[in-house]
Amino acid sequence: MRPGPAVLFSAVLLTGLTLGVSVWSQTTGGPAAYRPSRNAFGQPDLQGIWQALNTAAWDIQDHSEQRFPGLPARFSVPAGQGVVEGNEIPYQPWATAKRDENFENRLTADPEAKCYLPGVPRITYMPYPFQVLQFPDRVVILYEHLHATREIYTDGSPHPDIPVEFWMGDSRGRWDRDSLVIDVTKFTDQTWFDRAGNFHSDALHVVERYTRSSPDHLLYEVTIEDPKVFTRPWKMRMPLYRRQESAIQILENECYALARENAPPEAR
Amino acid sequence: MKRSAIAIVAVTLTAQVIAARAQVPASPPDCPGEPALFHPCALEKARTFRPPRTRDGRPNLQGFWRGQPSATENIEEHPKTEDDDGGKSLIVDPRDGRVPYQAWAAALPRTHRATYVEPNVPCFPSGVPRSMYVPTQIEILQTSDHVVILFERAHTYRIIPTIARPHVGSSVRLWMGDSRGRWEGNTLVVDVTSQNGKAWLDQAANFHTNAAHMVERFTLIDADTIHYQVTIDDPNVYTRPWTMAFPLRRNKERGFRLLEEACHEGERNTDPLINLRLKIYPGMSGTKSR
Repeated sequence: MRPGPAVLFSAVLLTGLTLGVSVWSQTTGGPAAYRPSRNAFGQPDLQGIWQALNTAAWDIQDHSEQRFPGLPARFSVPAGQGVVEGNEIPYQPWATAKRDENFENRLTADPEAKCYLPGVPRITYMPYPFQVLQFPDRVVILYEHLHATREIYTDGSPHPDIPVEFWMGDSRGRWDRDSLVIDVTKFTDQTWFDRAGNFHSDALHVVERYTRSSPDHLLYEVTIEDPKVFTRPWKMRMPLYRRQESAIQILENECYALARENAPPEAR
Repeated sequence: MKRSAIAIVAVTLTAQVIAARAQVPASPPDCPGEPALFHPCALEKARTFRPPRTRDGRPNLQGFWRGQPSATENIEEHPKTEDDDGGKSLIVDPRDGRVPYQAWAAALPRTHRATYVEPNVPCFPSGVPRSMYVPTQIEILQTSDHVVILFERAHTYRIIPTIARPHVGSSVRLWMGDSRGRWEGNTLVVDVTSQNGKAWLDQAANFHTNAAHMVERFTLIDADTIHYQVTIDDPNVYTRPWTMAFPLRRNKERGFRLLEEACHEGERNTDPLINLRLKIYPGMSGTKSR
């Protein structure tokens, strides 16, 4: 039997609707529109090698290009649009002054200058790739920068009730529909958010949300809370991109080993 | 173990937790721990042991493990001294338990030890195979296409693809090398190339060049023991390929997890050694050594 006009009309309408929805989801990037594939454990599949593609490593807020007097132009800061929601970081008044001081001294005062672990979320938007691996009871993220690692338990276990601080914080995750949500606490007060001096205290509490928004993109949303430094919680948001090279693998960025090797002969 | 080689951990409590863990007794081993006796015993047991398997049907190597910590002092037999715990040689081939150096290379470890900072002191990655016996906790994880090894020491790791893919380009040199794995029966075989030759095999400065090629074999011989073997081939330095073997024993402590050893962040030992005119070891290139 040949399809009647009503069936044909429905098919055209349905095709139009599907097309419309897919165009809508591509233009808005709305995560709700994309249904990620699931792995053997029924979790949304976030595995692979990902990387940020923005200038948040230099400054998480809007910024113009800058040169450092005395340094070659290739060490200059590229202009960039920020990743902070509303572009405002709600510092308490004393903390604004501290941030400005950090900014003035950033070439030497930034913990990155000493090759220290950058903490969370800074590690995510450093300009190096990282690999996500999933297991029934945890997610493991292995970063090229400083061979940093995170084991994120998703088994319902609480943060350890011990007086220990971690450079990368203590991460506990849960699966929320199509997202991985990670609660990170127990930070040191030694890390910054970027190379522009944005900072926090040891009361930092980070909530990260990773959502597959397309086969090759993750939407990365972060809520920052720190009652010692900010007047209210604030948010960052950016896409993470799947590295497309077929042979891509995590290599090494051994900052402190390079620093030792590059030190002047008498300090080597 | 030389005190200078123990990096100061940024968080003292972390160090205390690690020290406390070291005292957790392992279950009584069936094969003796001494490598020369362990190796033939393990080869025999591997013939009949049926390992537990992962969801993908591979031998399940997952869990927390510990290698042969005294070997980080010296992979060859060495006595207990004020500085060292002492221990038997890890080398099972050749039978004399000695690294088969070519004549020109045999005295270099002594010279290097007097000239350079032991590369583990500034928290540099230990490379392969030293990472497998450096005093630390080791965690093995498996996915359908990767084996991942996490080391608590300086939070280093190895990502070992177990699907067929070629090694990274030969101009890329890495502290931890480039690993490719495959399953041969019940054994995980890992081919390691592209190490940068800057890591030492131990505190005694036993060494290889950046042209070294390692083949490792991981085989479960009972529920709680992995027979680990590594054959090192580097015709620039040795008269023949040679092999170390030792047990990885399972850490069965309930609720055990790796902690963050922020090694570099708290490290204060290197600068005094530099002030004593020790230098950073530049590594050895295979081409240059020829």
